Amino acid sequence: MSRPFRFGVLLTGALIVALTGLLATSAAQAQKRGGSLTVGLELDIAGFDPLKVGVFDTSANMAAALIFDTLTSLDDKGEAQPKLALSWSHSDDYKTWTFKLRPGVKFHDGTAFDAQALKFNFDRQKDPKNKCRCAFYIAFVKEVQAPDALTAVYVLNDPQVNLPKIMAFASSNNVMQSPAAMQAKGDDYNRNPVGTGPFIVKSWTAGDRMVLEKNLSYWNEGRPYLDRVVLRPLPDSQARFASLEAGESDLIWDDEFDSDNILKAKKTPRLTVHQHVGSGATVYAFNTKAPPFDDVRVRRALVMALDRNKWSQLVTNGLSRPATNPYGDGSWVKCKDDGALPYDLAKAQALIKEYGKPVKFKMLVTATPRGRAYGQVLQQFWKLAGAEMEIEQVDQTAIVTRAFARQFELTPWRIVDLADPDPQMYANFRTGSPVALANYSNPELDRLLDHARVTADPEKRSEDYCAISRLINSEAIWFWSFQNTYYAIAKAKVKGLPKLHNGVIDVSPTWLE
Amino acid sequence: MLGFIAYRLGYLVPVLLAVTLLTFLIASLLPGDLAHAMLGDQATPEAVEALRRDMGLDQPLWWRYLNWLSGIVQGDFGRSFRTGEPVLRAILARLPVSLELMLLAEVTALAISIPLAIHCAANSGGAFDRVVTGLAFAKLSIPNFMAAILLIYLFAVELRWLPATGYVPLDEDWLGNLRCMLLPALTLALAEWPVLMRVLRSDMITVLQEDYITMARAKGLKSRRILFVHALKPSSLTLITVAGINVGRLIGGAVIVEYVFALPGIGRLLLAAIYTRDFMILQGVVLFVATGFVIVNFLVDLLYAVLDPRIRHAPK
Repeated sequence: MSRPFRFGVLLTGALIVALTGLLATSAAQAQKRGGSLTVGLELDIAGFDPLKVGVFDTSANMAAALIFDTLTSLDDKGEAQPKLALSWSHSDDYKTWTFKLRPGVKFHDGTAFDAQALKFNFDRQKDPKNKCRCAFYIAFVKEVQAPDALTAVYVLNDPQVNLPKIMAFASSNNVMQSPAAMQAKGDDYNRNPVGTGPFIVKSWTAGDRMVLEKNLSYWNEGRPYLDRVVLRPLPDSQARFASLEAGESDLIWDDEFDSDNILKAKKTPRLTVHQHVGSGATVYAFNTKAPPFDDVRVRRALVMALDRNKWSQLVTNGLSRPATNPYGDGSWVKCKDDGALPYDLAKAQALIKEYGKPVKFKMLVTATPRGRAYGQVLQQFWKLAGAEMEIEQVDQTAIVTRAFARQFELTPWRIVDLADPDPQMYANFRTGSPVALANYSNPELDRLLDHARVTADPEKRSEDYCAISRLINSEAIWFWSFQNTYYAIAKAKVKGLPKLHNGVIDVSPTWLE
Repeated sequence: MLGFIAYRLGYLVPVLLAVTLLTFLIASLLPGDLAHAMLGDQATPEAVEALRRDMGLDQPLWWRYLNWLSGIVQGDFGRSFRTGEPVLRAILARLPVSLELMLLAEVTALAISIPLAIHCAANSGGAFDRVVTGLAFAKLSIPNFMAAILLIYLFAVELRWLPATGYVPLDEDWLGNLRCMLLPALTLALAEWPVLMRVLRSDMITVLQEDYITMARAKGLKSRRILFVHALKPSSLTLITVAGINVGRLIGGAVIVEYVFALPGIGRLLLAAIYTRDFMILQGVVLFVATGFVIVNFLVDLLYAVLDPRIRHAPK
């Protein structure tokens, strides 16, 4: 290699570095400050005290992402980044995690956020005397220790290789609330939340709006860009979209059942449709102890009779993305072969014939227009295959009761968009778990699940989970209909919206152009 | 008159007892379980049982009802299962919105129906009468939620005259308040006016055939004076009854309208309470609505007595 050439390479390299730096600065300058953003949510928010509301729903999550901070955040690649925690480390068995906390962070009431405050939040939820409905979700954590003001140690009952990722989500378990405010306000704390987050609750009229104003002493200097965020519960999807069209809202939450408006917005230049391909899926579990589902041929036949593309076309104008495994395109689990059974009506008919007896069963369906529509589509698919399904409409909460008691033959269920597949996969398929709905036990499946949760290398874990998917698909104990897709529709001027993890629209880093 | 009022008030107690008992029964017959609704998908049966015990849901129904009732008598409506907010505070915060909505709707409905009915009755069988009666019939077959969306589309999205959703408190900005109440009130009024119009029209046609009307005409009184002064009062007895009974329909309509227009009223509170199985809120709202309904109809009875002396002086 000649000298001038090498020099040229160096120069080009330097230029690229300089240029990238320039681009980065100009991008930073493009982020305009000020302005107010009005967001149309679906549901009214019940409150923020975990002891009162237990688990946040999607609307509460969105507000929580503004008022509170979590230890970590997820970047667009799905990797954990520092937030209230600056760094973290783990023991070899992934059962002890140590977090170094950010110094100098204050709650909106002026009290300090430190390891003691973190421990207070955790202990309050964990304390059996408080009977928090949120405690179930931290059952895997044995205790939290605070050896010094800026160190928090999580001691787990079960290994968790992705704890920092799981902690990024603004759930009732993960957000840090002010111990002083919780103690001082008692029953009234629920509707007067105090966090460390980028916005402070200014006013809140139940059923109408929550007005949040910029936290002027936010630890992340220069943030947030917006001066004000207004959250409005707009339950009716048509009216919600109309409020966006009429200019009353700048951004709205939506889902694929409102496909007409999503498709319309995609064609409207002043609107931007933000779509997030999440992990997880809408799923269904066979009770493999109840005939005819004790025979794998019947289960396979029913799965092979599903034409998911047609199904998607029928219910959401084709927006729903067919699922072939429980992880989905949004998961870091990538499978070359997930073992999905193909759509093959002839094979399905043949399997039913081979079974010999008439295939008749009941399926639980939520008593909602959506639930009924899904049930009717499935009924038709299976009729073509030679099976007779009867729809049993029940209330959403009754489905849970029936599922736990295993009083069903076939039930709908959901795998939500979490940063790690382990909590749900382990609960749904490990022998002995209360939500291992299929009543199915397989030593190989248990071995894979146990192995996956203590393996750190993502590729090796991916292999485990793909093997699990192949096993479940082949045994057809559960099947998956559609992947989780989340939507937000915004005016084009709304910039910097992060990915909609688990359907939560976090507007804290956004700005208006 | 006082005896009449006391006599009618005596009715209130058994009616309210029956209504609250029925709600209690119906709520407990609802499929699904509050404890499950609160705990979410992944809760264990043990956790659900513990929560049920905690909330007293494992107690027999009659015991829970008596407990609740004794609280009400002492002015304690309890606290929401879900938010811990006192029920009375939640209801009182939302009541003004619904009251304003219903009042505006009723006034609008009357303002539309009375002139139309009088005009139709005076010229019954004419072209105007037939068009209006036809329109009324057509409107009766459009449900509220449909009308609401159509109005939003026309006035908020296309013309941009009025807001599509939202609420501004009256004491903050009365004009803004009126602007955001107009479409919801109109939606409800559009469902009400056909009924009111048809009732008044047919009563008026009958009254206009009475001898004293012919007498008034013979005296040479102006047609407008005859219609508004001589004919309207005796024709409006059924109208008032229907308007009173329609308060029930109006409340039902308000639930839907508040949902679509995102108004923070009592109807939305009720709907949310049903979805989340928040029985304390549900009971409280039903008690309020039932009391309101009974009181309105009680007032209608009184108004009857004012309008028609025969009722006032009737032997008991």
